Amino acid sequence: MSYYDIDDILADASKFPCRFNYDIPGLGYLEGNAGKEIRKNAKVELPLWLARILAIVGGDAGLNDEDALPFVELMQPEMFSPKVLNAIKSGPVTLDVHSINSHFYALAIKWATLFNDRDLIEVLNYMLLERCQEINNHASSVQLENVGRGGSQGTFMLTLDEFEKVLYKDSHESCKDTKKWVIRK
Amino acid sequence: MSLPWKLRETFSPEEIQFMVENEPIKIFPRFTTKPSVRGAARGGSAPSAQPRWKLLTANDTPLNNLVAIQTTQVALWIALLLKQQGKCSIVAPEWLRLAQLQKHIDYELKNTERFSDLPWNWLVVAQLLFSKAADDLHDPVHLLRGKVQDLREIRLGKIGQGLKHLNESHLQLDNLSLLEINELRPFVLGVMNKLKQVHGSVSEDQPDE
Repeated sequence: MSYYDIDDILADASKFPCRFNYDIPGLGYLEGNAGKEIRKNAKVELPLWLARILAIVGGDAGLNDEDALPFVELMQPEMFSPKVLNAIKSGPVTLDVHSINSHFYALAIKWATLFNDRDLIEVLNYMLLERCQEINNHASSVQLENVGRGGSQGTFMLTLDEFEKVLYKDSHESCKDTKKWVIRK
Repeated sequence: MSLPWKLRETFSPEEIQFMVENEPIKIFPRFTTKPSVRGAARGGSAPSAQPRWKLLTANDTPLNNLVAIQTTQVALWIALLLKQQGKCSIVAPEWLRLAQLQKHIDYELKNTERFSDLPWNWLVVAQLLFSKAADDLHDPVHLLRGKVQDLREIRLGKIGQGLKHLNESHLQLDNLSLLEINELRPFVLGVMNKLKQVHGSVSEDQPDE
């Protein structure tokens, strides 16, 4: 998760639902009507890179720190709703993470950092461990006739999130190279 | 970057082979390089006329004192080069025998929680000797191959079991060989790094919200 990390930049571009706490003139383009003001309690979907900052800095922070309300309030997105968390708890391996969000892990970590969300972390930990077993199984089953042209891997591969894809690719390459070395001898 | 992405965080199997080839192994030379004292005394210029081994990365004294049919220790890469030319036969290590391998297999099957203490380079040495020095082994090579494959599969199964206990802090892998570790490295590091990120994202001292 570094500054130049493409996957991190793409993850930061995902939209999160936010509610504005102030009337702000000129910001209407966030809602789609440029030139107008944005109203208090307007619900807008903002990319995380913007929402994260606006949810921290506030209006009159200099005057009275205690009551300083940030510009926006982040609302719980669909991808971390109890419905999704229950689905994860019931069966991480059969879950289609890619359709929930293709950067699920990265966003979950960012979300947990913002809100210090222990429950989410527990679920995420369980999910990662369960799914990585399956990824390892798929990565280490190298079919000899498919070495080189990469055969089809079935439906589980279609449910991987971007981090899991990188993990799968790396470990698959490693297993493939080792196997190639062993049979070449 | 100047280093290909595949090699940035791990070794390729060929690099593992390169490391293993630096280990010493016993050989039976089939020629003599040791200068005979009598010849040197009589001829005078005989030792200097004979080409000598001059090595920078390996010890060259044993090579300059080879006596046919007397075992000596040289680096594996030299042994393989000599073997290729038919100038020596390689003495297989103790553990590369059917009885020894069977003992390791029994140990592996009996102790499901740990790995048997094979040398760190067992898989690579076995593969190298099977392909390049098959006629020097004490037992038929197809039987040895079978035992090595058995061992590899038992250990792979245990590795699969061990991966269920991955966590964010540590992992103990006693007696796992270099090639096996190298095969696992991208996967285990990827998962453990992510688990570490996941755990690092909540701080202990802050209260729950």
